[in-house]
Amino acid sequence: MIQKKICILGASGVGKTSLIKQYVEGIFSEKYLTSIGVKIDKKIVDLSSEKVQLMIWDIEGIDRYCGFQAKYLRGASAFIIVTDRTRSQSLIEGNEIFNMAKEVADIPGILALNKKDLPTTWHWSDSELADIKHPFAKSFDTSAKSGEGVEEMFSYIAKILTE
Amino acid sequence: MDTSLFHDLGLLDCVIFKRIEPTKYEVLYNAQDWLFELLPETKSQKSFRFAQNSLYLEDFLIDAEALWISKQPGSVDSGIWSETLPSRELLQLEASAMVCNQQEYLVIHKLKDKFTQKQQTLQIARELLLSNDKITEQHEHLHAQMDELLSQSERTKAFQQPIINALEQTDLGVAILDSNLQLVKGNPALQTLFNDTHIALKLPVDRLILELFKKQYPEYDRVFSTRSAWTGELCWLNPPEQGKWLKVAIHPIKNADQALQYWMFSVSDVTQIKFLLKRNEKLTHFDVLTDLPNRQYFWQQLENKIKKNRPFYLLYIDIKNFKRINEVHGHLIGDQLIKDLAKRLQSVTRVDDYIARIGGTEFAIIMETDYFRKQFASTDQGQCKTFVQELIRASELPFYLESGSQCEIGLNVGASAFPTDSNDAEELMKYADLAVFAAKKQVKSSLEFYSKKLVDASLKRIEMEDALQKAVTNKQFELFLQPIIDISSSKIVKAETLIRWRLSDGSIIAPDEFIPLAEQTGLIVPIGKWVIAEACRFLNELKKTHQEIKLSVNLSPRQVADRQLLDFIKTTLTQQDISPELLELELTEGVLIDNYDKVHYLLTELRTLGISVSIDDFGTGYSSLSYLQKLPIDHIKIDRSFTMSIQDNEQDQGGNSAIILAVIAMAKSLKLGVIAEGVETDSQKEFLLRNQCHIAQGYLFSRPLPFNEFCKLLNTKN
Repeated sequence: MIQKKICILGASGVGKTSLIKQYVEGIFSEKYLTSIGVKIDKKIVDLSSEKVQLMIWDIEGIDRYCGFQAKYLRGASAFIIVTDRTRSQSLIEGNEIFNMAKEVADIPGILALNKKDLPTTWHWSDSELADIKHPFAKSFDTSAKSGEGVEEMFSYIAKILTE
Repeated sequence: MDTSLFHDLGLLDCVIFKRIEPTKYEVLYNAQDWLFELLPETKSQKSFRFAQNSLYLEDFLIDAEALWISKQPGSVDSGIWSETLPSRELLQLEASAMVCNQQEYLVIHKLKDKFTQKQQTLQIARELLLSNDKITEQHEHLHAQMDELLSQSERTKAFQQPIINALEQTDLGVAILDSNLQLVKGNPALQTLFNDTHIALKLPVDRLILELFKKQYPEYDRVFSTRSAWTGELCWLNPPEQGKWLKVAIHPIKNADQALQYWMFSVSDVTQIKFLLKRNEKLTHFDVLTDLPNRQYFWQQLENKIKKNRPFYLLYIDIKNFKRINEVHGHLIGDQLIKDLAKRLQSVTRVDDYIARIGGTEFAIIMETDYFRKQFASTDQGQCKTFVQELIRASELPFYLESGSQCEIGLNVGASAFPTDSNDAEELMKYADLAVFAAKKQVKSSLEFYSKKLVDASLKRIEMEDALQKAVTNKQFELFLQPIIDISSSKIVKAETLIRWRLSDGSIIAPDEFIPLAEQTGLIVPIGKWVIAEACRFLNELKKTHQEIKLSVNLSPRQVADRQLLDFIKTTLTQQDISPELLELELTEGVLIDNYDKVHYLLTELRTLGISVSIDDFGTGYSSLSYLQKLPIDHIKIDRSFTMSIQDNEQDQGGNSAIILAVIAMAKSLKLGVIAEGVETDSQKEFLLRNQCHIAQGYLFSRPLPFNEFCKLLNTKN
């Protein structure tokens, strides 16, 4: 079975760990608990043609307390930039992280616009959002709480990585 | 001593492997059960190879191997990671690879207390960060919305309802005050800010906020007199009950002519955030980004220094144009730069100095002068100047970014002296703030000392700003035209438009005196629009008399950044029924470099329309030839300083003639037109003719003329 390393990146508090917990264990907790360092989870995706084991690297939120660490992307096949629809700053930072990641790894980047269950409070116009989404391989509206878009996003990644 | 004691004390909760050969290890120390669960391959074997049971650890071995192969004594750390064991226990681990006595080791520590402590601190810090982010975002969004709605003075009435709706919906307390600080409108959230205190306030909320601001911030007068924006925190005490912390943003709202229309105060209750901060003493007194003391702590130290009654300088330091750095490089890099800058500033300060971060882009330093003299001698300013030069030098060394690019930072520094300027903490801060505000007007990093002269100059500037504001409203400007000549035929080929400000007494102020102020205050945008409109009106007049000729208009950096510029040009050309080919825009080199992306877009659009572009004052700024190639530019104008240095005797010309010749040659090879500015003598004209530069302007041909006189000259010449 092929294995693929996926890195989950983003500013702190956007719901990276919650997204993975929802995907791997089907669990969601409202309480925000900050992640420290890295945690790796595995999940097998059964595509019609073959099975892929995703090794999902949940990486501590990138902010003033924890910088971007290029070494975590070593050997990765794709990365997901998670942003929080209720905080436009997280999208600006996500965009910066995307640029830094692309400088060290020529792999697909996927954008997760997370917290879809909450009312969107950012103020991007459609064309601005389209500009931001443009360099990403694909973007998904996700909710770690309801699970919306989560399975779909990881399946998409598994699919493009086996094609 | 028995190692079990160390183990029981949690000091040896680790395992140690020795690397025997590449990929092969031996267990040297293990008193832990978790190892066999984590790495079963280590069980019951003297040596082992990793069997993909810990992906993170095996990834770290790549870095470890690099160290081991080098054989250099030292260590590398893996960073923290978490592992869930088959028994569902969650471990937090950190590994270190080491070379010691020419042996290679791998140590894996199980983190317990260290991890919990780190997580608790970061949990609070990040919760604060998120709350702060959210509040700042709300304030900024509101400001942007209000700026857009309220700045359109003629349309304000039509927008009354949307403004009221927006205000009523926001969670932020908002007060809109007129230019005299009288309340125009307050929203429901403002009124409910103090509801939870069950206390009837003696003052309306907007007055209370103004009072608190005035009492707690020496910047109060400067903010309102200079119509500046301000953000900070105010503390409302309510003994014996718990008080309140309010985050307040004050924002001037100006109309399209840049005249002050309103003040907008947005207020949010951040008491909860302050409460969280108090749970951690370090966060209460120290800035989390730089680890330097924060404003509150600095204030205490300033009071303490005053009590000691020894002379010192209070330096107020602001990073130059930091907003732009954030826009270009992003907030993460912006934060990193502030962190690095703090280290550099710290490295320059001496043991007795005291440094703090007192605002987003602001630092303060208490600089001790000679201990043994109570009065300042004339050399003390010298001491301070030398010290600030060191600070500036340290900050101006390039910062190398992870992206491989580099970035430079400049400083505005204001200084007030204890006890000569004042012996009161609040006054010292107020004076240093006034001085830094004056330093901000300089293009380069600079230091300003507080003085009566500085206050007078600042007042004069405010007066001048008011007068300029009135000039915009009353359209007290005139547009002159200076012919640009084909010197081989002596015909006028185009003209540069030059603005003059005519005062009510008839005297004229030259652009050099007011354009920099207009640029700083944003008045350049309405002034620039007037120039474009007036130039198009002239073009229309010329068209009527069949004297069609191209007119060029100067664009400033601020105009280039104005998103409405392109639409304005298009509309004006259409209104005056002018062909775009008759308009030329002049930009300086600095504009090209500073706003490359915007300029590229703007120039491409202008080229599509048919408007030509020339680079003004060429040779005086930073010239990147690649920009000249990449951007759609039509002409370059050789700066007058080069032209004027052409002497009667060509032998005396030194390097300047070489520069002119090089510019002419370069322009030719890039297929650009070249225009010499500032031609005043026949010998300069002859030199240009000899060297194939046929287009020129200067007093030799004509000074800038009012429109009617220009038309007469045009009629005679062409």
